[in-house]
Amino acid sequence: MTAQEIAIVAFAQTPAVRQYGDSEPAMLMDLTNQLLAETGLERKEIDFTIAGSCDYLSGLPFAFVMNVDGFGAWPPVYESHVEMDGAWALFEAWVRLQVGDIDIALVAGSGKSSPGKPREIFALQTNPYYCAPLGLDPVSVAGLQARALLDAGKASERDFAEVVSRSRRDGLANPNAQVAKDVSVDALLKEPYFAAPLRRHDLPPISDGAAAVLVARGERARQLCERPIWIRGIDHRIESSHLGLRDLTDSPSTRLAAEKLGVHDGPIDVAELCARYSPEEIVLRLALGLRAPTRINPSGGPLCGHPVMATGLVRVVEVARRIREGSARRGLAHATSGPALQQNLLCLLEGDA
Amino acid sequence: MSDLPPASFTLEYPYTRSTGPVVGPFLTALRDGRILGIRCRGRVLCPPLEFDPKTGETLAPDFVEVGPGGRVQSWTWIAEPARTHPFAEPFAFATILLDGADTALVHAVRAGSIDEMSTGMRVRAQWREERRQSIADVFFVPEARAREQRLEPGRGEVEMTEQLISLSYSEPLYPHRARYAKGLLEGRFIGQKSPVSGKVYLPSKGYDLLERVRLTEADDVVVANTGTVVSYTVITPVQYYGQKETEPSIRASILLDGADQPLGQQDIRNIPIAKFRAGMRLRAVFKPPGERELGELDNRWGGTGSAISRWEPTGEPDVPFEKIAEHNW
Amino acid sequence: MAERCAIIGIGQTKYARRRGDLSMDGLVREAALRALEDADLEWKDLDAIVIGKAPDALEGVLMPELSLCDALGAVGKPIHRVHTAGSVGASTAITAATMVESGLYRRVLTLGYEKQSEGNATWALGGGRSGSQGAGGSFAPWIRNYIRRSGAPEHIGWKVAVKDRKNALRNPYAHLQMKDISIEKVKESPMLWDPLHFLESCPSSDGAAAMVLSDAEGARRAPRRPAWVIAHAKRTEFSQFPGRDTVRPLAGVDCAKALFAKAGITDPLRQIDCAELYVPFSWYEPMWLEGHLLCEEHQGWKLTDSGATELGGSFPVNMSGGVLSSNPIGASGMIRCLEAANQVRGTAGDYQVDGARVALGHAYGGAAQYFAMWIVSSEPSPSF
Repeated sequence: MTAQEIAIVAFAQTPAVRQYGDSEPAMLMDLTNQLLAETGLERKEIDFTIAGSCDYLSGLPFAFVMNVDGFGAWPPVYESHVEMDGAWALFEAWVRLQVGDIDIALVAGSGKSSPGKPREIFALQTNPYYCAPLGLDPVSVAGLQARALLDAGKASERDFAEVVSRSRRDGLANPNAQVAKDVSVDALLKEPYFAAPLRRHDLPPISDGAAAVLVARGERARQLCERPIWIRGIDHRIESSHLGLRDLTDSPSTRLAAEKLGVHDGPIDVAELCARYSPEEIVLRLALGLRAPTRINPSGGPLCGHPVMATGLVRVVEVARRIREGSARRGLAHATSGPALQQNLLCLLEGDA
Repeated sequence: MSDLPPASFTLEYPYTRSTGPVVGPFLTALRDGRILGIRCRGRVLCPPLEFDPKTGETLAPDFVEVGPGGRVQSWTWIAEPARTHPFAEPFAFATILLDGADTALVHAVRAGSIDEMSTGMRVRAQWREERRQSIADVFFVPEARAREQRLEPGRGEVEMTEQLISLSYSEPLYPHRARYAKGLLEGRFIGQKSPVSGKVYLPSKGYDLLERVRLTEADDVVVANTGTVVSYTVITPVQYYGQKETEPSIRASILLDGADQPLGQQDIRNIPIAKFRAGMRLRAVFKPPGERELGELDNRWGGTGSAISRWEPTGEPDVPFEKIAEHNW
Repeated sequence: MAERCAIIGIGQTKYARRRGDLSMDGLVREAALRALEDADLEWKDLDAIVIGKAPDALEGVLMPELSLCDALGAVGKPIHRVHTAGSVGASTAITAATMVESGLYRRVLTLGYEKQSEGNATWALGGGRSGSQGAGGSFAPWIRNYIRRSGAPEHIGWKVAVKDRKNALRNPYAHLQMKDISIEKVKESPMLWDPLHFLESCPSSDGAAAMVLSDAEGARRAPRRPAWVIAHAKRTEFSQFPGRDTVRPLAGVDCAKALFAKAGITDPLRQIDCAELYVPFSWYEPMWLEGHLLCEEHQGWKLTDSGATELGGSFPVNMSGGVLSSNPIGASGMIRCLEAANQVRGTAGDYQVDGARVALGHAYGGAAQYFAMWIVSSEPSPSF
């Protein structure tokens, strides 16, 4: 499908925490140093740097500018920025490397949700005339999606609780998880509603965190690590911003991206889905046709740690980790943006045989 | 450093949006107590769009009244409303298919309790007493609860709609920033010296960005209260929401003796503009101990907070331009 | 190795202090529809959409690709949003070009916009606080430093301000249409931040600019002469660090070097026919002429003073009126890239540089730390 073979050669993430007591650039500096140390690269050997972050989350127009401090930009560097999750920065790096004139890119995503109120901030993603003045926030839209699933008979409240129970238990094995515990489905179902039919535990935690990866082209990738994780493809698609025009029980954009990538041309050993609310995992599993033995969200997923603007790139890191460790050979990472899975990105990764 | 208060800030602006050829008529009709949809290849879209969502073709302004009643297609009960929600007490958000429309609108339903909500139930639009030419002027109630309303039609078209966005942020001062802040309260400047390059940063961001090295408390150094003006600008205040300045004033960057990076954002109000110049030698005069405050100092902003009462010329000869030319920021 | 990229359609809105006749959807569609029409294409022909905009707080709409995707025919497609401060328009055009150059996407719509009248740029630049010094307040001391270093006489800035506004009179899209602009008027206008007078500063504008980029095959089938992307470059440095040269940032020098090397240009002032440079404050014309190696250090003001950068001169700069005449921040960088393409396509109407074959489009942003530029030509492989 692609002319150039591009691989992830190194990856790193900060643990998702309720409050990171220092700055976003500091997080990024740590990750950059970690990746350079691991690969033995010097800063100047990185041809292209691209990051994803969100000014509004930080509460400061132009906040992203300071993040450059973390990556290093002296002498001057070729770099860019998207006001999107780091997974989209990865997309841009992957596209850029295929032009063929550069070899190595540093990709990052970062965000601190702790200082502001994400529920209020992210209501500003909706239509400015018809929805934003109502403060229509992502939790409320997730509630609408949950209700639609129940009404369509595609899921039950027990199904939502099972996603939560499984995820939070899996999080116990993840040193980067913020919220992890062993809690039964029945105990979860006893909790009160928050945005009915969602309960508080169906929502992601508020997290600060960052992730970064180094990607390299062809031979360079093989020089930089023993086990490159090949990016077989990245595709992303978006659905309407008008909820009345969408079927909230389905994710056609995710399905379309999967078709474009040939996701089902082979087995999917592991899938890390950016399911921020438990019903989202159900919608995504149905749209992607994922079933056993595909292991879903072994990291615990966003329900265990949700560093907004990095959380999609973290899914890529978690799949890459499992491929490198050998517990998976072919994996799918998913990232999303907007209310109720409006925009979806898929990254298909594969290790050497 | 938990004895210092967290740094808090509110980002607030009253945005004014022009409505254009479709949202305009929609909000105009809404002001007058009617809800409009727009015809699109045999269907009626509500809320109305300027274009056909399938083909992208611009639509003719062929409006049709819909509602005020309709059916709930999906709903969610908000047990703990956010500050920015339409109601302070629990309510539902719902997708509502208004009578006569083919697409659903998202809006708020004021029902007494979650038990009154159900998929497929009928709701009806109600208008608020105080209206602002916004989508929030209307809300929905279970049809049985709806009361008759008579709205006086307004005059003219609604060409603008206003949205006040107010977001609050609060976080503790980072350790290095808290130590800097404490230093200010103690009447001194604390910077950080890079163990790699030896450069002194003030105020420090907690790292040496040139060497990509995090700095620690062991790297703290006290820097003199005297320094040189390396650059300044005379700001003529422009009026905007939240602007408190009315008179032109100097904003200067001062390179404190011992620092390698200037201290910026220093408002100079006690030295006449005509006498101010780059190269001037100044001394920070801190306020009396009990009066020093952190003011707007936060993790990214604030220079010296409200700890300094003014910068005084020291009377020393100016530093020549060549010696400060590289510190122009 | 790389696929070639060409600009096959361009579209702009009329820029104005406030486009009170349009919604956000309407603003972006006005530019996009014009670009599609110019390329003789429809929404369905686009493979991807890449938008760029300055901080979301300028309009109070977060991640606007989400709420604008319907209006831009992006449903079912990839939509990507670049944000690199003032340089964003050019960064965005470059990102879009790389999508075509990668071979993955054949026809890409790229668009930059700002509906600046909804918020306030000075407020946003001040982080939402009182006492904002604005962009001009930050640049003023650096400009004074440039004047001191270069020995430039005080009238240079005024000359640029007059030139660009006079050029704008030939551009029906330009915001400022100052028929009676003169050196006297500029001198007499209030001082904003010494040495910048009011009339030496950019306006605040609403507007959008769009281009349809395509691969070589699409360029061959395009109805009008394509503009070929010959080279592009971006460079960034820190906003603040000990020893930083804010007058002649190294990132700007490096960016130009990389750009010219890629294009095979060795004598830019002679080999490039004209330039659209991001000049939001008058003095940045001579500063960028030097800072981007178009002429020697300290000589930029002489080039401006000689009249070479006038429309009829040997190296016209900002034929469209530039940022000084129209400044929707998110679009301004894209407008520079679009106007460079406009010139080499021969479609620049009353501000056309005769026989323009190679043109430079440029933008900068942040604390003069972000640079993004491209070279376009009427020929796919111009020789120099």
